[in-house]
Amino acid sequence: MGFTIKLAWRNIFRNKRRTFIAGLAIGVGLATLIFTDALILGMKANMIHSATAAYSGEGQIHRQGFRLTQDVEKTINNPAEVIAGLAKEEEVEAFTRRAMSFGMITSPANVSSVLFVGLDPESEKPLSHIDDNIQQGDFFSGPEARDIVIGSQLADLLEVSLGDRVVVTVSQAGSGSLAQDMFRVSGIYHFNIKEMDGGFAFVRLGKAQEMLGLGTGVHEIAIKFRSLDSAAEGNTSFWEKYSVNGNEAVSWMVLLPQLKGVLNMVWISLIFMAVLLFGIVAFGIINTLFMSIYERMFEFGVIRAVGTRPGGVRRLVVFEAGALAVLSIAMGTVLGLIITLIVMKTGIDYRGIEFAGTTFYEMLYPELHLQQFLIYPAAVFFFTLLVGLYPAGVAARMSISDALRKSL
Amino acid sequence: MRKMWFLIGLGGLLAFSGPGSAQSQIDADAATIVRQIDALYRSDSSEALVEMEIVTPHWQRTLRMKAWSLGMDKTFIRILEPKKEEGITTLRIGNEMWNYLPKIDKVMKIPPSMMMSSWMGSDLTNDDLVKEFTFLESYHFELVTPDAPEEGLVYVKCVPKEGLPIVWGHVIIAAQRADAMPVWQKFFDEKGNLVREMLFREVKPFGRRRIPAVMELIPRTKEGQKTVLRYLEARFDAGIAPDIFTLRNLRRGN
Amino acid sequence: MLTLRMAFRNIFRQKRRTIFTGLSIVGGFTLAVIFIGWADGSYNNIIDQFTRNRLGHIQIHEKTYLERPSLYKTIDTAQRIGAILEREDSVESWAPRVYGAGLAALGEKSAGVQIIGLDPQRENAATHFDRKIVRGRSFSDLRAGEVVLGKGLAEILQAKTGDQVVLVSQAADGSIAQDLYLLVGIAATGDDLSDRMSCFLPLGTAQDYLVLGDRLHEIAVVVDRLSRVNRIAATLSGLIDDPTLSVDPWQVFARSFYEAMRADKAGMWVMLVIIVVIVAVGVLNTVLMSVLERRREYGLLKAIGTKPRQIVRLVLLEIIVLSLIAMIIGAGLGLGTNAILSRHGIKFSSGLTYGGMVFDTMKSEINLRSFVIPAITVILSAVLVSLVPAIKAARTEPAKTMRMH
Repeated sequence: MGFTIKLAWRNIFRNKRRTFIAGLAIGVGLATLIFTDALILGMKANMIHSATAAYSGEGQIHRQGFRLTQDVEKTINNPAEVIAGLAKEEEVEAFTRRAMSFGMITSPANVSSVLFVGLDPESEKPLSHIDDNIQQGDFFSGPEARDIVIGSQLADLLEVSLGDRVVVTVSQAGSGSLAQDMFRVSGIYHFNIKEMDGGFAFVRLGKAQEMLGLGTGVHEIAIKFRSLDSAAEGNTSFWEKYSVNGNEAVSWMVLLPQLKGVLNMVWISLIFMAVLLFGIVAFGIINTLFMSIYERMFEFGVIRAVGTRPGGVRRLVVFEAGALAVLSIAMGTVLGLIITLIVMKTGIDYRGIEFAGTTFYEMLYPELHLQQFLIYPAAVFFFTLLVGLYPAGVAARMSISDALRKSL
Repeated sequence: MRKMWFLIGLGGLLAFSGPGSAQSQIDADAATIVRQIDALYRSDSSEALVEMEIVTPHWQRTLRMKAWSLGMDKTFIRILEPKKEEGITTLRIGNEMWNYLPKIDKVMKIPPSMMMSSWMGSDLTNDDLVKEFTFLESYHFELVTPDAPEEGLVYVKCVPKEGLPIVWGHVIIAAQRADAMPVWQKFFDEKGNLVREMLFREVKPFGRRRIPAVMELIPRTKEGQKTVLRYLEARFDAGIAPDIFTLRNLRRGN
Repeated sequence: MLTLRMAFRNIFRQKRRTIFTGLSIVGGFTLAVIFIGWADGSYNNIIDQFTRNRLGHIQIHEKTYLERPSLYKTIDTAQRIGAILEREDSVESWAPRVYGAGLAALGEKSAGVQIIGLDPQRENAATHFDRKIVRGRSFSDLRAGEVVLGKGLAEILQAKTGDQVVLVSQAADGSIAQDLYLLVGIAATGDDLSDRMSCFLPLGTAQDYLVLGDRLHEIAVVVDRLSRVNRIAATLSGLIDDPTLSVDPWQVFARSFYEAMRADKAGMWVMLVIIVVIVAVGVLNTVLMSVLERRREYGLLKAIGTKPRQIVRLVLLEIIVLSLIAMIIGAGLGLGTNAILSRHGIKFSSGLTYGGMVFDTMKSEINLRSFVIPAITVILSAVLVSLVPAIKAARTEPAKTMRMH
């Protein structure tokens, strides 16, 4: 067996140019697979991140039923317990609390309905992008409790700018009586997304709780995970753990179903591409091997004539295919690595494009994973061997006299 | 819908009707002037027949209604004309509001979230209404002299106290020096732009009181809009049955 | 031309080699054709399904309605426009709508709502409104005193079919619009946010309720061929010829969806480039090998007096002819597959859900692009890759090449 391997290896190098070219073709196929996989992973991460990092977070916890009616009475049950639990979770990178209610915001010029949200600036900053999109003013940098941060569209509608007065009216939990308070615009943000820029008014959590009569209650806890995998719907242990006591914990997949759908589509495209790639690679292999066999038909005839069994010939050809595969994999892996590393450095600029309700914030970077360098090369190797069986069979079955008569 | 709000606003105004001092000397003190104007519009109870004309860029209507009020937070308003709206009645108790629609014979509670809007033809907003404190307690007052003062008028500049839910930068009230009758009220935003204007005209006696019978509210930031309130008849502190202000009465239709 | 005849003969002489080289070109070409056809097809398919769901492919409004909707910004010439739309062949269906804001109440519960007046028959044809009814039924006729609520709204009001829902609003003449409607159905459009606020009325009922006469706020149009939507919109705009109205394709009124699709398309381009590279390399591989193998042959030709230029021409011609034959076969296979896929599509178990619609069928599309791009790729790479060895072959010493094995 060892002899056959050595022989196979030497055989393919007899025609260096052909082998090299064929190897390159297959190698490029492999490199492409690796790069595309990395790109897709990067795109997926980027999209999810862009969609969830704006504001919604990768997962949210509410009281059951809150999401449907936004009833101000439905605050999270046992918040202290939930928060303590989250703080200890390995997979959770950051989380923040919010209290919210629909209400009205008035300025001298106009009035508008708005989602009035109280948040904790310190824990909000690592999680959402509001602070990154502040166009004017700041994100609760001062201690002033009357600070309010609104979107550019709302500011336009109300005809207000930094420092102007607005009055917010909401109805309190429990009594339903109206609470009003005056705020000064301390920050204006711009996401370039209509819903964000026109529909929200942010204040400090304490102030909102006071106005809504919630005490220490909150309506929503938004979560960011260390790794996107934890945010998947399939990570049931986490979601089940926090969907207790009348609360419900859901991932972005539930909150933003359209994003999930788009990602599905992207994944399907990848599969299609992989099929295509393998197809082309197959042609390359078959072509090379056949050419090589036919050229050496006489040679095969000779070995058969001196006693090698058909099986031996088949094995030789298959091993040659394998050798070719190894060579290709070596080239392809290196090529794939180089290309991916280059693009990882430069990134692809999708920034500014609005997508599924959010804007791409960051450059797109492909992601390298170890499995790309294990699975794909292995697949190519076995595929090459498989494909090599065909020409191997042909070579093995050819009659000796026919083989001896063949010449180029 | 918006009209509902206007009616609420109207109710609020009526609630401000108060025991009047017929001929009072104008006090040099600004606060006192405002107190007197404020007192003009206060009463323990009132009953009035009011006409409201609403002008918008798209349409123009005049409504006639009867309105009762008790204290600061109970209002009952019934529309008499035009025919399409005849019988529509609004009851307000504190922060809660109900409408009765005779055409479909239903009482509807207005959700708190909608209480705040007052768009429309009626340019009166709930700012005028839902507040628990009066104009008097919410502002600092000082006498001022404008660039082109008119004969016989005093001007009071009202600046809202810090921390109160008021959108205005300041308000200027012009009143008759002789009898403290308000002539106009101008509302400015914090940048000094005139945002809306309220004009008072036709001071008439109603029972033992003299008040401007016509109030015209003109928003200055919107084109072609105004609301005119006209008191046709009014009775103050005449003893009004508290059971007017009940849901039962809402349906029954006085 | 001697060269051409020789080229043809050469091709058919070395059957094996020809077949191999040819096959790889056929393969790459076919797969590229299928990929492009499929990518374009599914892209357009998604747009079509999404816009058909509720928005329509084209919408007609008063000029400034989209930027700031208002009860007063109406289309006043509904009849005339309807007639124009009926006459246009490219218009598959159209649906008129009116919108208003109001308060809906049932018992103690009330909520702010968006009132949507629609024509049940036309709406069923255009956006399959009837399929969105999850409980009860749609309207019986244009002027029925019936209402359909969005799912979330029905939950908030705790309403069930058979209830009488109160609707209060302000009509276009300033008067109070108040009426009672029978709840006949509950709809789920897939957009949870809008379902929490949607209150549907039959068109005639809504127009009476809001005192709009026969005015409309919106006409949604569904066209037969989505790829021509821009052209159709322009045509309609010309026919309607009304400067107070605006006829917009979906890219305008569904801007964020458009941007999303654009980003997706950009991704497709990246993949396309990758595919093109792969096909080129594949062709390179086989063609190069085939040319290099035959250097001895070319040496021989030179030895008997063939001019270098003729050799180059011969090599190139062979490759081009082979490529053309291969492309014809590939085109047949590829476009044929696309034709089948465009009719039946591939159904996936877990589809894409966007705006409540489930897209689980990917359909292909036959278009010029799916042929032209691979064709150019193949010819260019084949020619380019043959050029160097051809020139080299033409230049080397015959004796040297003939000595090579």
